[in-house]
Amino acid sequence: MNPQANLVFITSLLLGTTITISSNHWIMAWAGLELNTLAILPLISKSHHPRAIEAATKYFLVQAAASTLILFSSMTNAWQTGQWDISQLTCPVSCLILTAAIAMKLGLAPFHFWFPEVLQGSSLITGLLLSTAMKFPPITLLYMTSQSLNPTLLVTMAILSAALGGWMGLNQTQTRKILAFSSISHLGWMAIIVVYSPKLALLNFYLYALMTAAAFLTLNSINTLKLSTLMTTWTKTPALSATLMLTLLSLAGLPPLTGFLPKWLIIQELTKQEMAPAATLIALLSLLSLFFYLRLAYCATITLPPHTTNHMKQWHTNKPTSILIAILTTMSITLLPASPMILTIV
Amino acid sequence: MALAVMLLKGASFHSGCCRHKVLLSLLGPLLGNSKLYSSYRRPGAEPEKTPSWQNVDFSFKKGIDHLKTQLSLLKKETQDYLKGPGGRPVSQHLLEQTRVLWQFRSQEDLNKWVVSSDVEIGGKSKVYIKLGRNNQAALLYGTLNTEVPRDGETKYSGYCSMRSRPAVGSFNRKKYYDWSNFNSLYLRVRGDGRPWMVNIYTDPYFSHQKDDLYSYFMFTRGGPYWEEIQIPFSKFFLSSRGRVQDNQHPVWLDKVRTLGFTIGDKVDGPFQLEIDFIGLLNDRAHREEFAYETYDKNTPV
Repeated sequence: MNPQANLVFITSLLLGTTITISSNHWIMAWAGLELNTLAILPLISKSHHPRAIEAATKYFLVQAAASTLILFSSMTNAWQTGQWDISQLTCPVSCLILTAAIAMKLGLAPFHFWFPEVLQGSSLITGLLLSTAMKFPPITLLYMTSQSLNPTLLVTMAILSAALGGWMGLNQTQTRKILAFSSISHLGWMAIIVVYSPKLALLNFYLYALMTAAAFLTLNSINTLKLSTLMTTWTKTPALSATLMLTLLSLAGLPPLTGFLPKWLIIQELTKQEMAPAATLIALLSLLSLFFYLRLAYCATITLPPHTTNHMKQWHTNKPTSILIAILTTMSITLLPASPMILTIV
Repeated sequence: MALAVMLLKGASFHSGCCRHKVLLSLLGPLLGNSKLYSSYRRPGAEPEKTPSWQNVDFSFKKGIDHLKTQLSLLKKETQDYLKGPGGRPVSQHLLEQTRVLWQFRSQEDLNKWVVSSDVEIGGKSKVYIKLGRNNQAALLYGTLNTEVPRDGETKYSGYCSMRSRPAVGSFNRKKYYDWSNFNSLYLRVRGDGRPWMVNIYTDPYFSHQKDDLYSYFMFTRGGPYWEEIQIPFSKFFLSSRGRVQDNQHPVWLDKVRTLGFTIGDKVDGPFQLEIDFIGLLNDRAHREEFAYETYDKNTPV
């Protein structure tokens, strides 16, 4: 893409995110969200493929509707209370509408239908931006308004997200759609704890962004868009296949990898809040997503397919693995022993 | 505008009054028509259907039967979902290199396809489909007639086509095929030397792209021997409403809806095509990603 245009879009994304997370007036928050939406649209439709255009259109329609609802909820709150402060959202109707709007922005069930299609229509790097950077402002808004949100609605949406993210990801063969459903499932974990301990939701988001970035960048460097391509990656970059397996298991939340940390803390917090059944339910539902992570790990690393290639290793690799993948993968695998330090930071 | 027509129709009920008769005669066509667009119907098109709200059948038993069939379809879909992607176990999905999509051995195989020709615009071509000898193939035959229908707006005519029926799941939901494991179409056909066009329709979500079609050609030999034709998906070019697009893109095989064959080679006369089966192949020797516009569109300055 034209470097100047790329610069404008990336700067707009950063600006929009910064405006939203540092705002305390609803209009500023909304402006940042809109800026983000508009800036990522050309990145999604960069290749001009009809499916990419379709993905960009779906993304725009959903996000515009959600932004409108956010503005509407803040307006009704301003009518009732006379102020636009984000942390002072007191009108109950506004809180409900805001929860629904942020669920639409994030892709929480039952507003998740756009997410796999949009991710499937965009490239892997744009998919990474959609899964991590574009989720950050709405999560921040949830964090800032967490004391006024309806816990029942959020817990329901969270459990539904974990369930749907698990069930619908089971039979997917396209890696981008699998990562979309993993994102929906993780958002469920974030949403269930945001009312009781918003800092934990934010910690979950940071660790999820780390692991997802590692996964997406790895898949981008081996250029796999579907499961059958993943089966032959062991010949091209065997080390990357091994680390991909560990990253995927970390996303699944298995100890002793980093992904276990947010799940453990969330279950602990939920139990302290007398919500043991909800904790059990969401933990059991994340077993479904463990199934498809394991399947990806099987295809990438654990099994050797019989038919595909007849050489053990290609004689040279096309491009060396970038250092960013190395750093992100190391962090997404080995951060669990540092959990006391992480708890003090967040 | 529809509101204005409704108001005028309401006004027509008071037509007893003679003051309004002149007005009514002027507005007659406007009030009489129930549609707001041109009423020209192409000669081959079907006559106006009764609106769907007029032929609703409120039979309770039929409704229950319909619901039962849909629920059994849903149950079958759930069982297929539990097996794996596309109703097959994952190991089969990952290891398969060939797949037979359509085989013509019985009448119900034929019922999965629809034939059409330029009769729908008023032309005179004929096309028929039947099972071939010993029920071993489908025979698509007919006559192409390039005589243009005389309606003042059509310039070309003379085409016949056969298209697969789009797959439909429970409760009439759209089902798509996932051909992403494969990179070529494999056809066993016996033609008569005429060139055919193979079309893939991906049924996009938005109606702006509903005319997008990915096509390529299939040149048949006329001989008595069967031919096995392999068409890689990288060769399919994008066209919209019949016009080849400048912006070319490869067909994405994860959401394909229908496959079709068309003959329109501007030659009057009979044609015949026997199809034994249509399948997919993952040709490992074919490394091409896309055959068109491979140059870099955004060269850095």
